[in-house]
Amino acid sequence: MTDVMMPDQQELVPAGRDAWRMFLRNRAAVAGLIMFFGILFMTFFGPMLYDEDPNDIVARPFLEPGTEGAPAMGTDYLGRDVLAGVINGGSTTLTVAAIAAVMIVAIGVTIGALAGFYGGTVDTVLMRFTEFFQVLPALLFAMVVVTLFEPSARTISIAIGLVLWPSLARLTRAEFLRLRNLEFVKAARAIGSTDLRIISRVIFPNALPPLIVSTTLVMGAAILFEAGLAFLGLGDPNTLSWGLMIGLNRGNFLNAWWTVTFPGLAIFITVLSFSLIGDGLQDAFNPKLRGR
Amino acid sequence: MYGRPIHRLLAMLFALSLVAAACGGDDDGDDAEATETEDTTEATEAESEDTSDTTAAGSDEGDAGAVDGEPVAGGTLLIGSTQVPRHLNGTVQSGYATAVPGTQLNASPLLFDENFEPQPYLAESWEIADDGLSVTLNLVEGAVFHDGEPITSEDVAFSIITARDNHPFATMFAPVTGVDTPDPQTAVINLSQPHPAILLAMSPGLLPIIPKHIFDDGQDMKTHPRNSEDFVGSGPFKLVEFNPDSIIRMERFEDFFIPDRPYLDEIIIEITPDPTNIVLGLENGTTDLSASLGGSANILRLQDNPDVVTTADGHEAIGPIQWLEFNVADPVLSSKEVRQAIADAVDRDFLADTIDQGTTFPTPTGIAPASPFHNHDVETDEADLDKAKQLLADAGFADGEIELTIDYIPGTAQSAYAEYVVQALEDIGINTELSVSPDFPTWAERVSGGNYQMTINNVWNWGDPVIGVHRTYLSDNRVGVIWTNNTGYENADVDQILAEAGQEIDADARTKLYADFQDIVAEDVPIHFLTTPPFWQAYGPKVQNPPIGIWGHMAPMHEVWLAQ
Repeated sequence: MTDVMMPDQQELVPAGRDAWRMFLRNRAAVAGLIMFFGILFMTFFGPMLYDEDPNDIVARPFLEPGTEGAPAMGTDYLGRDVLAGVINGGSTTLTVAAIAAVMIVAIGVTIGALAGFYGGTVDTVLMRFTEFFQVLPALLFAMVVVTLFEPSARTISIAIGLVLWPSLARLTRAEFLRLRNLEFVKAARAIGSTDLRIISRVIFPNALPPLIVSTTLVMGAAILFEAGLAFLGLGDPNTLSWGLMIGLNRGNFLNAWWTVTFPGLAIFITVLSFSLIGDGLQDAFNPKLRGR
Repeated sequence: MYGRPIHRLLAMLFALSLVAAACGGDDDGDDAEATETEDTTEATEAESEDTSDTTAAGSDEGDAGAVDGEPVAGGTLLIGSTQVPRHLNGTVQSGYATAVPGTQLNASPLLFDENFEPQPYLAESWEIADDGLSVTLNLVEGAVFHDGEPITSEDVAFSIITARDNHPFATMFAPVTGVDTPDPQTAVINLSQPHPAILLAMSPGLLPIIPKHIFDDGQDMKTHPRNSEDFVGSGPFKLVEFNPDSIIRMERFEDFFIPDRPYLDEIIIEITPDPTNIVLGLENGTTDLSASLGGSANILRLQDNPDVVTTADGHEAIGPIQWLEFNVADPVLSSKEVRQAIADAVDRDFLADTIDQGTTFPTPTGIAPASPFHNHDVETDEADLDKAKQLLADAGFADGEIELTIDYIPGTAQSAYAEYVVQALEDIGINTELSVSPDFPTWAERVSGGNYQMTINNVWNWGDPVIGVHRTYLSDNRVGVIWTNNTGYENADVDQILAEAGQEIDADARTKLYADFQDIVAEDVPIHFLTTPPFWQAYGPKVQNPPIGIWGHMAPMHEVWLAQ
C-alpha cells in the first residue's frame, strides 16, 4: 500500500525549504546554531587540537589564568588543566543529554500518542500514570534514582529521562487529540490503514514540529539536570563532565573562580544554544509566519 | 513569535542560576577539608571522631593575636562549627562534635599540658601503684555539679564504669576491674593489668565526670534522655540552649570549683554545615573562633587576613593521619609486592607539598609525628615508579592487568586524594576507578564489611596508641565496625608487641616496642600512610589564651578571655 498524501497534511507543516528559510531569518536562532556547532567542534575536535589529558596533574593547584606557568584557564585543586577539562568534559555532558533526550522522546511520545489516539480508558490510565511522574519533585526523584544505583553516565541519563518525559507526553497527546479527527486521518482509516500505521505514518509526522521544538528545549533541560546532579555530588567521578567539574570545584569558588566559571560558561552557552535553536524551530514550523 | 522571549529568558536564568549557585557555593564537602565527618553531618559521632581538618598547614602562629595585660572577665565567645553533636554525654559518645561542648559542660579528673604531662583538674593529685595495678585519685574539695550536688568519688567511679561499658574506645578502660571509693574525695581505680594509657584516658574529652544521681536510674546510658535534656554537668559552663543542628548556648557556672574561672560569661557554638560561613564570620567579626575550617583553600585565604589569627598549634593528641588502606583479603592486594608497588607510586610528599600546598605534612607511620611514640627512623621507600613496576612484574602482573577500585568518605577532601591515587597508579599500569558511596554510612558499611579494595581514610590516634592505634592492627579486632581492623591485617608479632606495649609502664621500653611495631607495619604495608593534617583553627584578635593545648577545642575553655 502506498502512503496516502493528503492536502491537509501539506497545509499543516511548512515545506522543509520554507522552514529552513524561516529559521535562517531568525538571527538569534542562527547564533544559537553557530554556538551549538562551536560546542560540537570543541567537543569532538578539541581534544585533537589541544592534546592534554584532563586528568593529568600538570602544575600546582589553583594556578590562576594568566599567571606564570598556568594553562589558559588555570588549574583546579589537583593541578589539572581546566581548559583540557572543559574541552573533554563536553562529550559526557552532551552524551548524557542525548541519551536522556532519546529516553524522553521514546517514553513521552509513545505514551502521549497512545493516550491521544485511543482516548477513553487508555487515555485516562496513561494520563494518570503521567501525572504521577509529573507531580514527583523531579530533582529529588532523580537524586534518589542516582543514589540507589551508583552514579554513572548511564544511571544519570536514565534518571533524567525518567523525570522529564511527562511534559512531552502531554504535548504529544494534545497534538494527537487535535489531529486524530482531521480529514486526512479519517481518509487513512477509510482505506484500511492499521492503527499502528495511522499513528506512526499519518498523525506522527504532522505532530512532529512542536515535538522537535520541545525536544530541543528538553535537551537543554537535561544538560542542566546533569550539571545539577553533579553539583550536588551525584555525578560520576570517573567520567569527566562540565557538571562534575563544577561539582568537584564548587567549594573553591571563593578562592579559585576559574575552576567553576569556565565549565559553567560552557554549560551556559550550550543550554542557550539549544534554547535559541528551539525558538527558531518553533517560528520556522509556525505556518502563520510563513511568507513573512 | 509567542513564547520566544520567555524561553530565552528561562534558559538564561537557568544557566545563570547554575553558575551563580556554583559560585555561591560551598559545600558540604567536596572541597577539601574535612575528613571523615567534619562536614558529613549525618555521619555518626563515632565517625566524627576522625573528623580532622584534613588540610592544614603553616600558620600565622598562635599568639599573633595576643595582647598584653591582665585577663578580663566577661564577654561572649562565638564559636563557628560544622559539627552536629548527637548529644552531650562523652562517657558514651566519642567524637569532636560531642567533645567540644562536652568539655565545657563537664570536668574530668585530669588536664594535660603541651608535653602530654597530666595536670590537676578535678583530681588535685593522683598516684599510680608501684605494680601498676591501681590508680588513686584525690579529688578537689567543694566541687559541685550544676544542680548544686557535690561531685564525689562515687560520681568518678560511676563515670569510669559507664565509659568502660559504653564508650566506643573500649581499650581506654578495658583493664578496669572496679573503682573503690573509700571516702567522697578518693577514688581508687583497680586494674587487671598495668595500663599506661589510663591517665590520658582521663582527659576532658574522654572521661567527663557525670552525675550519678541523675544517670544511675537503670536506663540505657546511650539513649538516656538527660544526655541532651536538662543537662547537669560538672564543668566551667552550664547548658542554656541545645539545638544540635544550629546552636549550643552555655553560660558561666558561678560555682565552678576553680576560683574566678571561667573568664567568659558565655560560649555560643553556632553550627553550620558550611565551613565557608565560618570563614566569612571570622572575616567580618561575627565569629570569634573556628571549630572547623574546611580545606586548605579556606586556611590559605584566612592566612592572608591580618584581622584573623590562624594556627596549626594545638590538637597534637588527636594525631589525625590520612592514609591509603588496603583490603589484604583481596586476591590482588593480598600480595605484599603489589601493596609495596602501590606505596612506591603514591607519593606522600607530593600530596603534602603540592596538592595540599604545604598545609599537611607527610608521615610514614601510623603514629602521628607529634606523639612521643612516633618512630622518626622508620624505614620507608621514597616514591619510585621504576621500582614499583618491577615489584608488579615480580609479583607476576603484566602492565595493565590489575584493575582496582578506591573508596573515600563522600563529601570530604579525601576525594582529591583518591583522584590523585587513580592518576598515580595509572603511571605504573594499574587501572583504578573511584568507588563512590552516596553517604558516610554506606562507605563505613562497605569498608567495615570488607567490601572494598582500597580506601582513603583518616584515623585519629586519640592521644595514646592504646586508644587510637591498636584498634587498626590487632588481628582480633575485626569486628565489623568502622575504624577497627578493617584491612584484615594479621601479624602475630604485631599482636604480641601491641599487647606488651599496652601494659608497659616504662616509657623508654614502651617507645621501643612501638618503634618495632611501626617498622613491621612499614614493611608489611597493610596501609600506606600519607599525611598528617595539623588541626587548623582560626580566631579573632580579641581571643586570648585560645584553646591550643594537645586536645585543642576538646578541653575546657575556662582560661580563655576576650580583650576589650
